[in-house]
Amino acid sequence: LNVAPGRPPRQHVRFLPAPDGGDGGATGLVAARVPVLADHPLVRGPRFRRLKIGAGHRLDVKASGVFVLGIGRGNKLLTDLYNCHLTKVYTVGGLFGKATDDFSDTGKLVEKTTFDHITREKLERILAVIHGTNRKALLMHSNIDMKTQEAYELAVKGLIRPMGKSPPIITAIRCLQFMLPEFQLEIHCLHETQQYLRKIVHEIGLELKSSAVCTQVRRIRDGVFTLDDALLRTQWNLQSIQSAIWDCQLKVKRELEKTLG
Amino acid sequence: RGAAAMAVALRGTRRAAALGFCRGLAEAAGPRSTRQLREAEEAAPVFQYVGKAAKRKDRVFVWGFCYSGALGVPSFVKPDVGWKKPRRIQPTPYRLETEEKISSAACGYGFTLLSSTTTDITKVWGMGLNKDSQLGFQRSRRDRTKGYEYVLEPSPIPLPLEKPQHTRVLQVSCGRAHSLILTDSEGVFTMGNNSYGQCGRKVVEDETYSESHLIHQLKEFDSRVVQVVCGQDHSLFRTEKGAVYACGWGADGQTGLGHYDITSVPTKLRGDIAGVNIIQVSSYGDCCLAVSDEGDVFGWGNSEYLQLASVTETTQVNVPRHLPFKIGKIKEAACGGTGNVVLTEEGNVFVWGYGILGKGPNLIETAVPEMIPPSLFGWSDFNPEIRVAHVRCGLSQFAALTNRGELFVWGKNLRGCLGTGRMEDQYFPWRVTVPGEVVDVACGVDHMVSMVKSFT
Repeated sequence: LNVAPGRPPRQHVRFLPAPDGGDGGATGLVAARVPVLADHPLVRGPRFRRLKIGAGHRLDVKASGVFVLGIGRGNKLLTDLYNCHLTKVYTVGGLFGKATDDFSDTGKLVEKTTFDHITREKLERILAVIHGTNRKALLMHSNIDMKTQEAYELAVKGLIRPMGKSPPIITAIRCLQFMLPEFQLEIHCLHETQQYLRKIVHEIGLELKSSAVCTQVRRIRDGVFTLDDALLRTQWNLQSIQSAIWDCQLKVKRELEKTLG
Repeated sequence: RGAAAMAVALRGTRRAAALGFCRGLAEAAGPRSTRQLREAEEAAPVFQYVGKAAKRKDRVFVWGFCYSGALGVPSFVKPDVGWKKPRRIQPTPYRLETEEKISSAACGYGFTLLSSTTTDITKVWGMGLNKDSQLGFQRSRRDRTKGYEYVLEPSPIPLPLEKPQHTRVLQVSCGRAHSLILTDSEGVFTMGNNSYGQCGRKVVEDETYSESHLIHQLKEFDSRVVQVVCGQDHSLFRTEKGAVYACGWGADGQTGLGHYDITSVPTKLRGDIAGVNIIQVSSYGDCCLAVSDEGDVFGWGNSEYLQLASVTETTQVNVPRHLPFKIGKIKEAACGGTGNVVLTEEGNVFVWGYGILGKGPNLIETAVPEMIPPSLFGWSDFNPEIRVAHVRCGLSQFAALTNRGELFVWGKNLRGCLGTGRMEDQYFPWRVTVPGEVVDVACGVDHMVSMVKSFT
């Protein structure tokens, strides 16, 4: 960044003595635009010494996926995006038959159970219940009085969302793949942690009278940022970062205007 | 030879270390290696909680006002432990233990009937108010000549069946102080208050209905009766041929027989339903609705709350009238005290009448059916296959069952009858958390009973 050509130095008008010969007598002053010495690169030093980088929603060590960072003035946009309370989408992979202490497959084994009685219909039934109870929690934590017409209209449109602090809420959940003993779920959630998602997988196992551990948590969408906007490890260079920032500026501005007004 | 001995000794220690449980002399007790962990995991015992062919269990959940005994849990009214207090209201679903699988349930005004399709001697159980013998004669254990006025737990109702081990009870229905039991081959049994002829037998002057042994049997219909419905003080019978019979109180025209007197013998209804094949009848208060096989709905009875205002200005209609609604083919209808609800073939729910209808606090009364948006029942782009499968009505509340087995309720929350866990009225459909898939629900005045299948 420091090597890239920077701003040209400011110019100001100075009255310099005219380059006359040694005439003696009237020395004329000529107005000339000269660069300000204070802006000289040797005086100023390197343009960037530190960069303020802020992180968006947390992603823990065992999970992977989209992780939003803000640079410099983007940190203020990060706070605004946080206040929008947009949903995040995860693909969560699970494995039936085991229960561990930290709900993931690398933990200490607690119990092993059979799982041949589990079918896709039973799993979808449990997912429907989880969806229903979380929908109820969504309405209850959004702090609207249920007796008003406004609450009814928001409930019809499905726009009720907690705009403040709330416990983790799952707004949508469905089964993408089911091949015993593995299964994969897509979860849309708010205010969650990845460990909460692993706990959900464990509880699904318990509801089905078996046990389950979580093998993979991958965030595929964080508000307006999807996997397509994310940069791979090989793309962590200045040009890709600059073009990524440029591409999502419009999306972010539109989303902030829509939600926060 | 020294080298060979040392080699043997070394081999010995390594073998002990490889065995794992015998710590070698020079081995630290560090974290177990991956291979040891994997071996321990494979050697761990596997628990089986449920077998491969496990069946889903059938359960009954009750909630609402407890003091009448209608919930069937005696410890709510008379706690078994001294320090517990009696529970006035059960705000969330509570599991009721039953001996048999309950196939039909009905909630009356302060009492409940449960029935099973078993061929055992005991087919119907009743609990709650019994001041008019609406639960039959429940012999008191303290005094063999007297009967109980309040029945606190599901007690068998003895029916005078000719073939008790062959006949099956198909359906039960409860009104304000009377009840009807439908069997497959022995007609309809009626019990309870008969001051308006609602039990289908002649009114006897000054008859005392409490502690009465009398259970009347009705058999004279044009064909087999397939549905019985109790209104507040009248009874409706639907036969296989699609005809509807009525008896009981008629001052609001709810018997639909063309007059406003009481009827003590079930008589066939005429009017707009003469010759029409009716596939479902419904009533709970003083208004009645019938659905034909072609998807038309007919109504008669009380219209003070605009239930029939789409066809007439009068507040009492004593002849069945066709209600010309252009909302599609109607599959099911349910009548409440002041509001009505219908379900169309596409799975849409329409409400009209007076009271809390389910479209927010601003809609209090309407004569024309208004649709409740399907998104309130869980329909969304993410779940487009959710449909409402059944609708039910209590006196001032409504219930809807979706095809996913979810129960949504709305209306006046009288003494916690909605089961939402809160005591406030609910102005739009709200999901009731029941640990299972709800198969059917029966709504009463201040309590509800649901039949549920467990998830796994």
